[in-house]
Amino acid sequence: MSEPEKSSPKVVLVGNPNVGKSVVFNALTGAYTTVSNYPGTSVEVSRGHCSIADQRYEILDTPGMYSMMPITEEEAVARRILLNEDPHAVIHVVDARNIDRMLPMTLQLIEAGLPVILVVNILDEAKRLGMQLELELLQQHLGIPVIGAIMRRKIGLDQIRQAIVDYAMVPYTPFIYAVDLENDIDKLIRLLQGDYRLSRRAISILLMQKDDDIIQLVAECETAENYTQILEVVREISFRRRADLNLQISLERRKVCKQMLTGVVTQTIEDSEPFAEKLSRWMMNPVTGTPILLFVVYFGLFKFVGGFGAGTMVDFFEGHLFENYISPPIVGFAEQHITANWLFELLVGEYGVWTLGIRYAVALVLPIVGTFFLIFSVLEDTGYFPRLALLVDRLFKRIGLSGRAVIPMVLGFGCDTMATLVTRTLETKRERVIATMLLALAIPCSAQLGVILGLLSVEPRALMVWTVFLLLIFLLIGFLAGRVLPGASPVFYMEIPPLRCPQLRNVAVKTLTRMQSYFVEILPLFLFASVVLWAGKMTGTLENVINIFAPVVKLIGLPVEVTTAFVFGFFRRDFGAAGLYDLQTSGLLNLTQLTVAAVTLTLFVPCVAQFLVMIKERGIKTALFIFVFVTVMAFSSGWFLNKVLIVTGLLA
Amino acid sequence: MNCGFCGREIDITATPGPVEGEKSCGGCLGGCRKIHCPHCGYANPAPGKLLSRFLSKKNKG
Repeated sequence: MSEPEKSSPKVVLVGNPNVGKSVVFNALTGAYTTVSNYPGTSVEVSRGHCSIADQRYEILDTPGMYSMMPITEEEAVARRILLNEDPHAVIHVVDARNIDRMLPMTLQLIEAGLPVILVVNILDEAKRLGMQLELELLQQHLGIPVIGAIMRRKIGLDQIRQAIVDYAMVPYTPFIYAVDLENDIDKLIRLLQGDYRLSRRAISILLMQKDDDIIQLVAECETAENYTQILEVVREISFRRRADLNLQISLERRKVCKQMLTGVVTQTIEDSEPFAEKLSRWMMNPVTGTPILLFVVYFGLFKFVGGFGAGTMVDFFEGHLFENYISPPIVGFAEQHITANWLFELLVGEYGVWTLGIRYAVALVLPIVGTFFLIFSVLEDTGYFPRLALLVDRLFKRIGLSGRAVIPMVLGFGCDTMATLVTRTLETKRERVIATMLLALAIPCSAQLGVILGLLSVEPRALMVWTVFLLLIFLLIGFLAGRVLPGASPVFYMEIPPLRCPQLRNVAVKTLTRMQSYFVEILPLFLFASVVLWAGKMTGTLENVINIFAPVVKLIGLPVEVTTAFVFGFFRRDFGAAGLYDLQTSGLLNLTQLTVAAVTLTLFVPCVAQFLVMIKERGIKTALFIFVFVTVMAFSSGWFLNKVLIVTGLLA
Repeated sequence: MNCGFCGREIDITATPGPVEGEKSCGGCLGGCRKIHCPHCGYANPAPGKLLSRFLSKKNKG
């Protein structure tokens, strides 16, 4: 490292996690930053440089910390930086919406004698919630520079840069706590003789709280005799206050914060709650949230994806463009010029790369997943999903999951393989196994869902049977799994982001990105599957496989031709659904058979990619067990549903 | 960027994904196209090279 860098004054960024520290860091330093482990730890610290008024500063972004009394390794590192780096300025970034909860740490930093600049970030959201902040008054109360900011729009950045340059350390006036506490602090301050970077008052309080690092520091800075005496006093105070010391310190700080914030924060009392807040509350309340969920499912999935995507769009691409304009010249060309039967079959035959691979991917699946991803991105951008997580949390607890499991479940409607991978974020092994099994069994992926909705939406009764039956299977298996697998359901807690109007750009970028990723992933797989099926047809293997499955398929009341859709489904769920679409448009299935086939295919085995991820995430034994269980469950359910529909004549 | 699920800020330079040195989590078939939120685990879509180039051009414009 060069000499000038060593001598650059240091500016340290501190604050709770997710208050925008990194945004301030990036805004100050630009692109030239380094990330390295803090010496002796595995905690990463980012360092960068910036020049303000011809002076070069080193900027350090510390891990999130909640208090000067560290609990986690990250917090310990953040405090060690404050202790060891001799900062020119310490920028404490707080979230304006939670200023009352974050200000106690500002008090601790000031109390420690550090050169603090307070940045009150996310002012726009606070204002939206009806909060008015008088930051000049807060500056007067605290005696340090206070800057209001909206860092994601770089508002306040110039003031921060100016405050760094102008920073002039002035002695602070201590915040006064209760008399008995002050007496104990004073006892220790009088005993401390060493040279410390933090104020003696801060050292005394941390000693009383039995902070190991500080005890070690005092041991190094004091004479042996003095250290023994200090420890004796600390022991006496800690014993006397053993029941309530930390609580009292915390309460005293809160009291001081309350005084500091008097007149600073005013909450505009609005006559009526903003509509977005009301809607947000309704979405999470089971009584109002369930009809909203049904509304979203009906119009978003059934009408838009099933009706528009799988109906209108597929009719246009497959029925009009491909059938009338694209396929005839290609098939005609092949008929004229290809004499070898095997090559003809490979390219444009029943399982040819054109007939199955490209046509399925482009004309059938892409329009459906496109519409699905569009509605998915709209819902994602509004902030509906975390509200859905809280809505279903209670129900999920009954099946051994928590609201957190909504994340893989929601992602499963996009792609079950990705969702299976995401189950690793669930807290307990029990939750991960249950979620993996439910994903493999009862969550259809986007294209499968779209095709099935498209096929069934022409007859609402069939759609209703499919929906209710799958929901029942999902709940029944989840409930049983929750009983069979031991363990408690973890508590689910999350901060709910504000409900917002979807942004056109966000929705467009997310939809196009997902479509691109999806298409790039499925096209080679579809082509590969069509080649395998072609090879199977040419060698007679496919016929043998179909013959093995045929009795089972017949047993659930379906024509033997449906077996091919199940074989397709093992390659990709959406490939199988597209196969079912072809069978239906050929007029091979009546309404009962179509519904039974749709249910069985939805429940049928996970595709190859999902199965591989299941092995990777859950191990071979669990993955194989789930595979066998799902296969048996799919055909048993199909058989049962077929019997029920025949006996009741519900779809006759 | 902000997570599409929990809304919290994601430091994309410190998160496995197709950015800054291609630190892929190795989960996706055919290369990583997702940025996993370190707070909630949600898989956020990461624009591919073509779309990123188009977006950065628009931003500059």
